[in-house]
Amino acid sequence: MAAPTAEATRRTAPRSAQRTRLWALLLALPTAWMMTFFVSSMVIVVLLSFGRTTNDGFPAFALRTDNYEALWNDVYLELFLRSLGYALATVAISLLIAYPVAYVIALHGGRYKNALIAAIVVPFFASYLIRMYAWKALLSDDGLVNSALRNLGLSDGITFLNTSYAVVGGLVYGFVVFMILPIYASLERLDTSLIEAGKDLYHGPVRTFFFVTVPATRAGLYGGILLVFLPALGDFVSAQLLGGAGTFMVGNLVQQQFMEGQNWPLGSALTVGMMTALTVLMVAYLRATSTQAREL
Amino acid sequence: MIPSAGLELPRPSRRGLLTGGLALGASLTLPGCAYIRDDASTDAPLPESAKAEIDGDLVYFNWADYLAPTVVKGFQEEYGVKVIESNYDSMEGMYAKLAAGNEYDIVFPIAKWVVKLKREGKIRAIDPAQLGNAEQVFYSGSYFNDPWYDEGSAASVPFTVYKTGIGWRTDKVSSMTGSWRDLWNDEARGHVFTLDDQDEALGMAALLLGYDVNTADSSELSDIKDLLISQKEYLRAYSSDDVNNMVGGDAWVHHMWSGDYLYLRNWLVDDPTMYDFEAPSEGCPINSDAYVIPTNARHPGTAMVFIDYLLRPENAIKNTKYLSYPFPVKDALPAFAELAKDAPACNVEISDLENENVFRLLGTDEVQRRAAVWTEVKAS
Repeated sequence: MAAPTAEATRRTAPRSAQRTRLWALLLALPTAWMMTFFVSSMVIVVLLSFGRTTNDGFPAFALRTDNYEALWNDVYLELFLRSLGYALATVAISLLIAYPVAYVIALHGGRYKNALIAAIVVPFFASYLIRMYAWKALLSDDGLVNSALRNLGLSDGITFLNTSYAVVGGLVYGFVVFMILPIYASLERLDTSLIEAGKDLYHGPVRTFFFVTVPATRAGLYGGILLVFLPALGDFVSAQLLGGAGTFMVGNLVQQQFMEGQNWPLGSALTVGMMTALTVLMVAYLRATSTQAREL
Repeated sequence: MIPSAGLELPRPSRRGLLTGGLALGASLTLPGCAYIRDDASTDAPLPESAKAEIDGDLVYFNWADYLAPTVVKGFQEEYGVKVIESNYDSMEGMYAKLAAGNEYDIVFPIAKWVVKLKREGKIRAIDPAQLGNAEQVFYSGSYFNDPWYDEGSAASVPFTVYKTGIGWRTDKVSSMTGSWRDLWNDEARGHVFTLDDQDEALGMAALLLGYDVNTADSSELSDIKDLLISQKEYLRAYSSDDVNNMVGGDAWVHHMWSGDYLYLRNWLVDDPTMYDFEAPSEGCPINSDAYVIPTNARHPGTAMVFIDYLLRPENAIKNTKYLSYPFPVKDALPAFAELAKDAPACNVEISDLENENVFRLLGTDEVQRRAAVWTEVKAS
């Protein structure tokens, strides 16, 4: 590149300073927002995890580690592993549902693409809680689904509710849209001539799909996996409304400490412990996926 | 020309921005801490009662759908004020908002929360002499002249009373015995529900073992834990959504609140004889809700007028019919008795109120010991 002339520099300098100010302003608002509502509440949670509860039931700051010592409890480990299992199952099922849906809409949706995406997104405007209650009405022992099965003579009734299947089903239904959208976005951008080239080289739609299409959309896949996994792991609504006597999750545990348990410091320590575990898992995941990406 | 000038990040650098942002975040943390503090209980006298005079719109804070809408509407029309409604979904949530300084004119706490709010000076005195219909609840001989949660009824007016028992499906289960043991009924295996409520679940097990419903004794709690874990093989779930669990057919035997049972039976099902309710012989937890006026209420006068309005028998009758919970308003009691004539176990008698099975306000260490047991039961 040729060095800019002195005259050109003089002309552009004020404009670039102006742009810098504009960028600063644009960044300042979201930064202030995040700091106010995200960072400060995180700071409170971390500080409170070293705190105690006064005899009047108030959370108070202190410098003690007994909340963390209390985390070394087999019950909590079991809950964490159970939640992890539910979250992984949710990711796997969401993936199986989301990829074909996103694929068909992105590559074969034609002029109905936007309408189809809207059809998927619009139900998610309704509150998550309301949708969970709707599942209850549908799937109860005398609910619509079981009544239909009985009337058709297909079954005497299936116990859907209050099982781990119901909890995972609720999580999938709650979060599958976060898998569909990023995969759809990466499929939309996919150059379809790649698929054609793949078919020429590999001679088969299945191999082309797994060796060309899937790798080409991995950014969307990784994004979708994280966006479904994280909220599913911390969720408590699905287990509370659709779960049974043995489906208590970490989210329920944390919620209980903040409510009936009157133990905010323990709830905070659980939250921090969970975030730490998740960070470790995420870093491992990101490193694995980026190595894989380099190899490709 | 420098092509990337427009995309350059502004000074301060990213690091500077981050540091500045963290400082901002930390400084914003401090006001948040105002709530997290050592708030010792006060022995100061209660802030004095307001006069029952309209002094603005009513800022109303209650469970969702917990008064008949026609009654609330009637108040707005009669007094020409607006009722600005917000809702809570737990007593803890209600308390957190009050403690954070939110201003409400009237709140509807459960009995033990009246104790806590009163002790901390968060509610005002309510002078019954200001209420034209006070005689309806504070008549001579009324239990509520001096209820356990508010000495001399100085800062509260009773709203509803209820008990916890067992509701069941008569078409599915025929071997009920009138004991809390029925929550271990073999016929209903896999269709039994226990309320997802720390006090109610531990209280039920305590009654069965002959302990105080408020016990925080370690060895008694350990017995309660074993007993509740032994229930798990019968249990479908822990849930407080008792009405829907019964309507949906998932529950055949449900640890249940009396008003919810009555609501189910009277309004929701085709054949009421398919359902029944019992008050177990080991004793039932009795609870009550009350009206209180927070100390920082902007319109305590309107709140007083509202309470007086709710004590009018015709309004109490409308609310009783809407909620299916008895209101201890003298001239509304026959209406409730009529409502509960086929399910007399739902009635809350004066003798019930005088029993010992009320959930008291416990110390933090006691609550936390009970919570640890409840967590282990639910997680196991």
